[in-house]
Amino acid sequence: MTTLHSFSQPRLAAGCRLREMEGEPATLLFPEGILRLKGPGAEILRRCDGQRTFAEIVAEIQAQYRSADPRQIEHDIESFLDRLQKRRVIDL
Amino acid sequence: MSTAPLALIAELTHRCPLRCVYCSNPLELRARSEELSTETWVRAFEEAAQLGTLHVHLTGGEPLARGDLTPLVLAARSAGLYTNLITSGIGLNEKRLSSLVEAGLDHIQLSFQDAEESSADTIAGCSAHAQKVAVAQLISETRLAFTVNLVVHRRNLDRLEEIISFAERLRPHRIEIAHVQYYGWALRNREALLPTLDQVQESVAVVERAKERLKGIKIDFVTPDYYATFPKPCMGGWARLLMVVDPSGKALPCHAAGVIPGLKFENVKEKSLRWIWEESSSFRRFRGEDWMPEPCRTCERRTQDFGGCRCQAFLVAGDAAATDPVCSLSPHRHLIDAVLKRINLSPLSADIGSSAEPGAGNVKALDTDLALRQRWAYRTNPAGVRERPEL
Ligand code: SF4
Ligand code: SF4
Repeated sequence: MTTLHSFSQPRLAAGCRLREMEGEPATLLFPEGILRLKGPGAEILRRCDGQRTFAEIVAEIQAQYRSADPRQIEHDIESFLDRLQKRRVIDL
Repeated sequence: MSTAPLALIAELTHRCPLRCVYCSNPLELRARSEELSTETWVRAFEEAAQLGTLHVHLTGGEPLARGDLTPLVLAARSAGLYTNLITSGIGLNEKRLSSLVEAGLDHIQLSFQDAEESSADTIAGCSAHAQKVAVAQLISETRLAFTVNLVVHRRNLDRLEEIISFAERLRPHRIEIAHVQYYGWALRNREALLPTLDQVQESVAVVERAKERLKGIKIDFVTPDYYATFPKPCMGGWARLLMVVDPSGKALPCHAAGVIPGLKFENVKEKSLRWIWEESSSFRRFRGEDWMPEPCRTCERRTQDFGGCRCQAFLVAGDAAATDPVCSLSPHRHLIDAVLKRINLSPLSADIGSSAEPGAGNVKALDTDLALRQRWAYRTNPAGVRERPEL
């Protein structure tokens, strides 16, 4: 496991992709299965492009959800990405 | 009503350059002339996607034997499906691989018979190992998700450690180690393929150690159900998660379901996937719990294993509606135990000798590659397909 740092540039792992079709919630597809994304999950993953850093992703999501506690947002994104890394869906 | 199938398993063809003794394809293989056209497959993929299916597994036989594989991948991907190719790798070169990647292939599963060329080729019934290694190299240079599939059995289980190291050097993201499942050709060769209890226990330990060691590669391990206390949740439950379409277009709830007598399987040429999934009698036959006999009917585990495999119940106990005979609670478990007893009490080298000339005396001497080749029931090819030359 790689530890997530503010300068990490997460990206979808090989063979994992985001499916966004009209009229249905975004779904993450990967070799062993799927994950239906709720709330900001898709917003976060769309930004996991191997370019943006973790800090940048957090800042963008914070800017989008102004009413939520920014520290809570950071914490949620961190645990979301951690979980996905454990399932080998994203690389850090 | 059941929800959509999560995945469509598309058996594009039964043709295959290999002749693996553990092949789970049915003994009666579909001929090339029966195979679905490109257009029908494309329509099936679109119907599956509309139904809500998310994954398609392109398999066979050897899917590369279809000249239209690239357009099929393109069609599946355009329909929005996550596209997985399950292949022996024979027939894949750099050009074809890059056209598949371009068409949108997401994941490739490449199977190996062994780490060592001559044993691998003995199991495959032809010389294929070296080509597969070259193909693995090509795949590891792409952005595809790459899984190496290893099928294990009595003949190679003692080398599992070495086989895993070999697979590791191919640089996959995942290694799937599966014990042979006894359907089709594998059932024919069961006496020679079933491992002993010692081998199975040792293999579990080997896999555990490998998981510890290979942090970067995910290892999936399918244990042999003959040695289990409870059955596998076959196909995730009959007509619950998966739909198989065979090369001729017949839709089945499971690869092996064609062996079950009395079921009428619909063809995707005539009926929509939705109708087959929701309405057809074969898909409804063992869906849910109404069909269950005791002990399943009142068993707590029925929501986890769905009473096990219907095909295995038929193949071993002669009744597709019986509890899976591998279940320790099944009234037919003694049939499995009898096989295990034979396997575990006979010396390893004698297993092929069960059909050997009586009085051959030196059973050990028979246990050579040559003897194996003579005694295995190698998978054939559909009629009309030129066989590879004998070894
Ligand atoms: S013969 Fe071997 S490679 Fe061909 S379909 Fe059967 S198991 Fe797969
Ligand atoms: S009795 Fe039926 S439901 Fe219970 S464990 Fe055995 S197969 Fe599964």
